[in-house]
Amino acid sequence: MKLSMINQQAGCPWSLALGDQGMKLALALTLAIAPTLLAAQSTPIAITNGKLLTITHGTIENGTLILSNGKISAVGETGKVTIPSGATIVDAKGLTVYPGLIEPESNFGLTEISADDSNNDLVERSDEIMPHMHVYDAFHAETELIPVARLNGITNAVVAPASEDSISGQDIFIQLYGRDRDQMILGKDVALAMNFGGDQRRRGAHSSFPSTRMGLVTQLRQTFLDTQEYMHKQEADTKKGEKPKPDLKYEALIPYLKGERPVVLGVYEGYEVEVIMQLAQEFHLKVILNHLTHTQDVLDKIAAYHVPVIIGSIYDQPRAGERYDSVYTLPAELAKRGVKIAISSADAGGPVSSHSARNLPYAAGFAVAYGLPYDEALKAITLNVAEMFGFGDKLGSLDVGKTANVVLANGDPLDVRTDVKQVYIEGIAVPMTSRQTKLRDEYSK
Amino acid sequence: MHPHRSAQFLTCAILFASATIASQAQSAAPQMPATDLVIKNATVMTASHGTIQSGSVWIHAGKIAGVGATVSAPASAVVIDATGLWLTPGIIDPHSHSALDSDVNEATSPVTPSMHMVDAFDNRQSDLYYALAGGVTTELLLHGSANMIGGQAVVIKNKFGLDRDQMIFPNAPGSIKFASGENPKRVYGSRDQLPSTRMGNFEVMRMAFEDAKHYMADWDAYDAKVKKGDKDATAPKRDLKLEALADVLRGKLYVQIHCYRADEFLTEEAIAKEYGYKIRAFHHALEMYKVADKIAPTETAIATFSDWWGYKDEAWDAIPWNAVMSMRAGVRVALKSDSDDHIRRLYAEAGKMIHYGGATEDEAIRMITLNPAWIIGVDDQTGSLDVGKDADLVLWNRDPLSTYARAQKVWIDGDLFFDNSLPGLGTTHFHGVMHDGGGFGSDDQEDGQ
Repeated sequence: MKLSMINQQAGCPWSLALGDQGMKLALALTLAIAPTLLAAQSTPIAITNGKLLTITHGTIENGTLILSNGKISAVGETGKVTIPSGATIVDAKGLTVYPGLIEPESNFGLTEISADDSNNDLVERSDEIMPHMHVYDAFHAETELIPVARLNGITNAVVAPASEDSISGQDIFIQLYGRDRDQMILGKDVALAMNFGGDQRRRGAHSSFPSTRMGLVTQLRQTFLDTQEYMHKQEADTKKGEKPKPDLKYEALIPYLKGERPVVLGVYEGYEVEVIMQLAQEFHLKVILNHLTHTQDVLDKIAAYHVPVIIGSIYDQPRAGERYDSVYTLPAELAKRGVKIAISSADAGGPVSSHSARNLPYAAGFAVAYGLPYDEALKAITLNVAEMFGFGDKLGSLDVGKTANVVLANGDPLDVRTDVKQVYIEGIAVPMTSRQTKLRDEYSK
Repeated sequence: MHPHRSAQFLTCAILFASATIASQAQSAAPQMPATDLVIKNATVMTASHGTIQSGSVWIHAGKIAGVGATVSAPASAVVIDATGLWLTPGIIDPHSHSALDSDVNEATSPVTPSMHMVDAFDNRQSDLYYALAGGVTTELLLHGSANMIGGQAVVIKNKFGLDRDQMIFPNAPGSIKFASGENPKRVYGSRDQLPSTRMGNFEVMRMAFEDAKHYMADWDAYDAKVKKGDKDATAPKRDLKLEALADVLRGKLYVQIHCYRADEFLTEEAIAKEYGYKIRAFHHALEMYKVADKIAPTETAIATFSDWWGYKDEAWDAIPWNAVMSMRAGVRVALKSDSDDHIRRLYAEAGKMIHYGGATEDEAIRMITLNPAWIIGVDDQTGSLDVGKDADLVLWNRDPLSTYARAQKVWIDGDLFFDNSLPGLGTTHFHGVMHDGGGFGSDDQEDGQ
């Protein structure tokens, strides 16, 4: 087995620092040396003889991948790639090598034990319009959920607030490894989390506005109009040499009304998609549609919007009387219509819970079982997600110049039986441990 | 001491009077297909005696009549060539709340043993159909976990489209649901009632069993008098609650306990010993890996999730290796859904056990067939591909332990109930209006809040 090689590889200072009792000392030492980055990759790594799933240029049955300085520096057929001198060689014979998986909708660092509200920072429920809530202010980088997901090959994720607000805040884009939040957050305010549907009507009951979809849409339209007016007034005041007091809520919306960053628009029902897309088009929002699990009747229309779509959870229940696979087949049906898709791990029903984010590759596998071409499924949890959130040039495929986020597994990444053997993030062999492996090992003695 | 079969039959006869009548009616007008059926050239995963690479199964009169590389069926048999396909026993879910229209908890008292889930069973609810399409042929429909001692379960065969009474598993032993831990103490504690702690939880149980012992003694005394010919003996007042608890103490009901923490398994076993009943299975059992060596000798099984964790405090130490570690320590392990979502893909949940801990294919398949059958007490009738057992089978397009498997055909008692190649729903017996049951999902929902 290749594990011995991998274990050697994992024996880098970084993993020792994490796995050891001397962790605090190591951290302190490293802090003194490298205040912003705990450990950068120092020795090149050559992963040889692996089956490479490159995403962008097919499968290389016997390939070699070079990781240097935290980036992919070469990829190709074994024998045709020059191995740098001094490189650590990882023989990946019999293993499948693929880019780290990217979860398009998580709540990593916003929750720990779901039922325990004292550690939930999922959504600010004081108002429906909360664009000035920044996930980076709550992101708990040391959450136990991250190592658990990482062990199954998830290396990056979007973290979004929960969906109870019409506009619930702004997302971050993270990598699932690093010394602290500064190293793990790759992008702040990368997208606006917007939602339309039943969930957002809760506070209205019958006593306060908004309590209907009419109210929700009117409130959103008024908010966008007010923001536009605010923008104009700020510009005019600035021209006059005045320093107007900023309104944080409106300021937060400006980049989205200018179409500079994507709005992730969570919606489940077909008719709701039609309603909210009309509003989005009115204000020229750069939309990524999210969820869409009961939109089977408007698939052509969705394709005509020419916007990317995150599908999740594909495990949502069909409506009574619908065929059992009406939701399972959505990724295939949308991809068939030329829609760029991502798949999220969100468990069926309820708010997304990243405790099950480790099952992301299996959700993509289910989409394959129900008609999505395999390559599309793999893209839907790697490159497509990276592209949707502005990281397409850095992540999501095995290409030269991209960040060395790479996974080695003993088989097909989308199959539940497959065991991930090693994860690299920025070229560092991540310790293959979590709170759960520690419990396992403790009780296996 | 396992419950006596005859006693179980008696219990069933009382509890499921309507079911008993129905099954008699059924035998008068059998649903069985008249012809013999042979499925040949399949990869046959028997669950009891390994995998036959290119094997055949012969179905006769609703039962399995032959299993092997070849079978000696009559020439008149209908033959399905299953080259490239997989055949398994029907999947058995030992922890479901399907088709109860959200009537899962009678959360008005922590002790409600005389509730019968069969009284809430609605045979037209959609979750049954989705489970069927995922290869589920038998389910144990349990009371929720709001109460320390909940109601009595009903075992169904997922014959979606048949009459309500025809879906009830004939002669299955009775089971009763207990709970422990966070849910009961939260449900009653939030109302400032007993129990609001684990101390209160267990004391509620002891008090109930003390009452039941007293009740049993009164009846035993009366029965003794009657036996002696005492015509003046006065029968004690019948109390449905105490009667049900007495049935637990008499070993007439399988005890199925919702329980998470290592310490609570040990406490439950101690109380069971104190009052002289056996625990059939711990459900959820996410910390079993910590004490599996101590539970194995009790023969109590577990019905657990593959990889759920972190949704509540008592699920914080859950690890996905729990099932395999517990199995290696000698505990009988089943996977269960407790979810209208996961019930549709228990086969893939079993596949995860190859990943988490290195279960063999045989072991993984048993976790969703023969082992849950044992927990329910129907392992002599279904749960494996063996001659004489009910012809409950699923034909798959891919290895059923992979992500990619889809059930192609599902037979129950030899009758085809789902055929993926059919247009529309793919159901063969269902017509009319499907009911939306509102679904059920996870432990959190089953606590009656």
